[in-house]
Amino acid sequence: MVKRNSFFKQIVFVCLFGITLTSCKPKENLLPNTPGEINLQQFVAIGDGNTAGYMDDALYQYGQQNSLGAILQTQLQLVGAGEIYNPLMGSANIGANSSLLSKLILGYKTDCLGATGLSPVRFAQQGEALTASVYSSQNKYSNFGVPGLRMIDMVSTSFGNINLPQHNAFFARMSKDQFNLPGSGNYSSVQENIFDGGYPTFCSIYLGIEDVLPYARSGATQNPMSPLVGLPGLGFEESLTQLCGQLYSQNIKAVVGTIPDITQMPYFTTIPYNGLNLDDEKAASLNQIYGPLGFSFSVGSNPFMIEDPAAGAFGVRPMVEGELILLSVPLDSMKCHQYGSVYPLRDEFVLTLAELQEIRNQILAYNQVIRQHSNFYGFAIAETADFYAKLYDGFVYNGVAMSSKFVSGGAYSLDGIHLNPRGNALLANVFIKAINKTYKSSIPFANALFYSSTYFP
Amino acid sequence: MNIRFLKWSVFLIILCYNHSVFSQGFQVNFLSQRQQGMGLAGSAAPYDASALFCNPGSTVFLDENNLVAGVTPVFGNVMFVDSSTQTAYRSNSPVGTPFSVYGMFQLKPAAKLKFGLSINTPFGSTIQYEDNWIGRFALTRLELKAIFIQPTFAYRITDHIGIGGGFVISKGKVNLQKDIPVQDSSGTYGHAELAGKAIGFGYNLGIYFNPSKQLSIGLSYRSKISMNLPNGEATFTVPNGLAANFPNGGFTGSLPLPSVTTLGFAYHPCSAFTVVLDINRVGWKAYDTLAFDYAINTSSLLDTKSPRLYKSIFAFRSGVEIKPCKSLALRIGGGYGFCPVPSGYVTPETPDGNRIYGTLGIGYSFCEKFCVDASFYYTKITRSDTNLETNLSGTYTTIALAPGLSISYKW
Repeated sequence: MVKRNSFFKQIVFVCLFGITLTSCKPKENLLPNTPGEINLQQFVAIGDGNTAGYMDDALYQYGQQNSLGAILQTQLQLVGAGEIYNPLMGSANIGANSSLLSKLILGYKTDCLGATGLSPVRFAQQGEALTASVYSSQNKYSNFGVPGLRMIDMVSTSFGNINLPQHNAFFARMSKDQFNLPGSGNYSSVQENIFDGGYPTFCSIYLGIEDVLPYARSGATQNPMSPLVGLPGLGFEESLTQLCGQLYSQNIKAVVGTIPDITQMPYFTTIPYNGLNLDDEKAASLNQIYGPLGFSFSVGSNPFMIEDPAAGAFGVRPMVEGELILLSVPLDSMKCHQYGSVYPLRDEFVLTLAELQEIRNQILAYNQVIRQHSNFYGFAIAETADFYAKLYDGFVYNGVAMSSKFVSGGAYSLDGIHLNPRGNALLANVFIKAINKTYKSSIPFANALFYSSTYFP
Repeated sequence: MNIRFLKWSVFLIILCYNHSVFSQGFQVNFLSQRQQGMGLAGSAAPYDASALFCNPGSTVFLDENNLVAGVTPVFGNVMFVDSSTQTAYRSNSPVGTPFSVYGMFQLKPAAKLKFGLSINTPFGSTIQYEDNWIGRFALTRLELKAIFIQPTFAYRITDHIGIGGGFVISKGKVNLQKDIPVQDSSGTYGHAELAGKAIGFGYNLGIYFNPSKQLSIGLSYRSKISMNLPNGEATFTVPNGLAANFPNGGFTGSLPLPSVTTLGFAYHPCSAFTVVLDINRVGWKAYDTLAFDYAINTSSLLDTKSPRLYKSIFAFRSGVEIKPCKSLALRIGGGYGFCPVPSGYVTPETPDGNRIYGTLGIGYSFCEKFCVDASFYYTKITRSDTNLETNLSGTYTTIALAPGLSISYKW
């Protein structure tokens, strides 16, 4: 009996031993992170507002910390990239756009019909000042994203010249000139700032959106697109060649983003062309007005009326499928003052099929040049257009539906153009995918759900 | 430390570092400690009142009244490694406590008629993932409980054949929670909790045949049970600005507990040695869709129909019992079950794969009437998948340990 008892005890002991031995937790066998053929000693992100973290129609600190540049660098840090240095805005997160307005947040707004609903509203009466320099010779920025930066601005010495009215205040505050004013009166370019005090070893370049976007945002009425040909500083292609050549000559490797179809952004797609809903009475009255011109309206949804100088003697016509209304349109006038029906929408609020064709062709031409030169220099190409198109169609990311729907789509910020932190993380993954493929590296993708989306009140 | 100790240790260590894979939904096969010692097999080797559930037809060959109560704490750990971010997330599920209580009676010794009551938990799982895990918008916690109450009758037709059957009332509850991808002004995510009590009905039939003293064969069938949630309650925590989109209210749903058909064999050439083999067919095909029908629908809250498309599967289980002396039984066993979850449909609720497992057991009779049985179960399952609905993509690794204990009193 004594013997049996001791055996029983042994079994209990063995079971307990087994439990503690393995502690019954699965082991993590993660793939190793490797930089492959790139050296991340000095990483610099080059680009426009997307790289800078401009979102909700302002540059503000939280956006900067969750920018394409910052998220990309966070992942690159896993394979050796250094600390992130952003030209940070104030910690109060008020932000500023080029008109010195604060960021947008989602708030309540009562429209002309008296209906209160969620809508983007300014966070504060006034935005942050952009005049104070944030340049420091100690810590070189790892993020040279500048809101509004075009490909053709890279070597421009007037871009940061505060004496010129058209200068870029976002760049001026971070440029070395602000700290050490040039005696010659010549201001330094973005590119000079990037190369100042040592070349980077690896770059991300995401430029070109700003070469077409201001034109599109004006309804194709002003801010002409950068021409494809012309000297560096004037033409898109030579500006790009100049930059790529500089990098290549210094043995700097890079990942270059192509330009998405900006007309798929919610700023252009939120208001449907045929959102003119009419009852009997309204349809009849519009038929009276436009009947003589040969336009007819029916009960239900109808296309909005727009100004188009090319459209007959009166320069007015209904929109056709595929044409876009911009989010800058005065919505209250549309809802309550027959804007878009009795009064046609002005050209600046509309992109017609011809204008869209022009913009899209220009983007295709830019992209062809980007791919060609990137391939020539052996740079990785991040096909951002595919990502934006996928977003336009909608997809599910780890259980979360993402799309380019305004506010509810989860990827765009409240300006309908720039991505929010989650969108930036998804975009950063496009760049990482390209780096991994071209440079045989193994950099894990960012968890986009770790990054926030729109905040609701 | 003697040789036996070392052998046992080595066996455990081999099990623990075994990288084999996988299989069976939220089924819990901890029904009898003796079976748990012998690879979860033994439906053709009636041992105690647990036979009421495992094969009611076999009970008529146990000439006794018997009460058995057992519990098997399950220590389960799931790890999910997200393939794209190469990050590991873990479960912190509470300890599961499948239990069983059986009472088997006869009106006189060697009676042809047996009756009894079986109360146990053949289905259920509670899985909870760590905070902020990457699949939080698919699932944060699922608690699924079902208690089967089965009054049973059995009759010995001849000295070699017994039949039995029972009516099953299944009472259960479901509590499913996940985060909603909307953030309030402080960045906190919304949360959904779907909870409800469920009830279902089924039956359990068994036939047992022992052509010789050495060999016995059993066939049993437990029907599918649809667990219906007629009065579920959906609670949403969302930013005020979206409260109208996510109204709290009722929902209805249904979850099938699949049928289980078992063909069992037992061979005992001498009283000190028994080998058992069970073949299960589990009708998981019944789990086609997980649907929730909300009482109030909005543009943000639509009724959901998630395809599950499970497949019916086979499982093979076998074990051995050796009795070095009359009062002591030593058991060992193992098994393999195919996974019912097809590729593209693995979810955090049941991160299942084909399953291989090993068991050990011991039984000891303190006297004629009173005995204790203990068992130990170990499995490790890994499954990689990309879910077609959520696009959650990665590898689940599950390790489960289940030490069990039961006491039995017969007269």
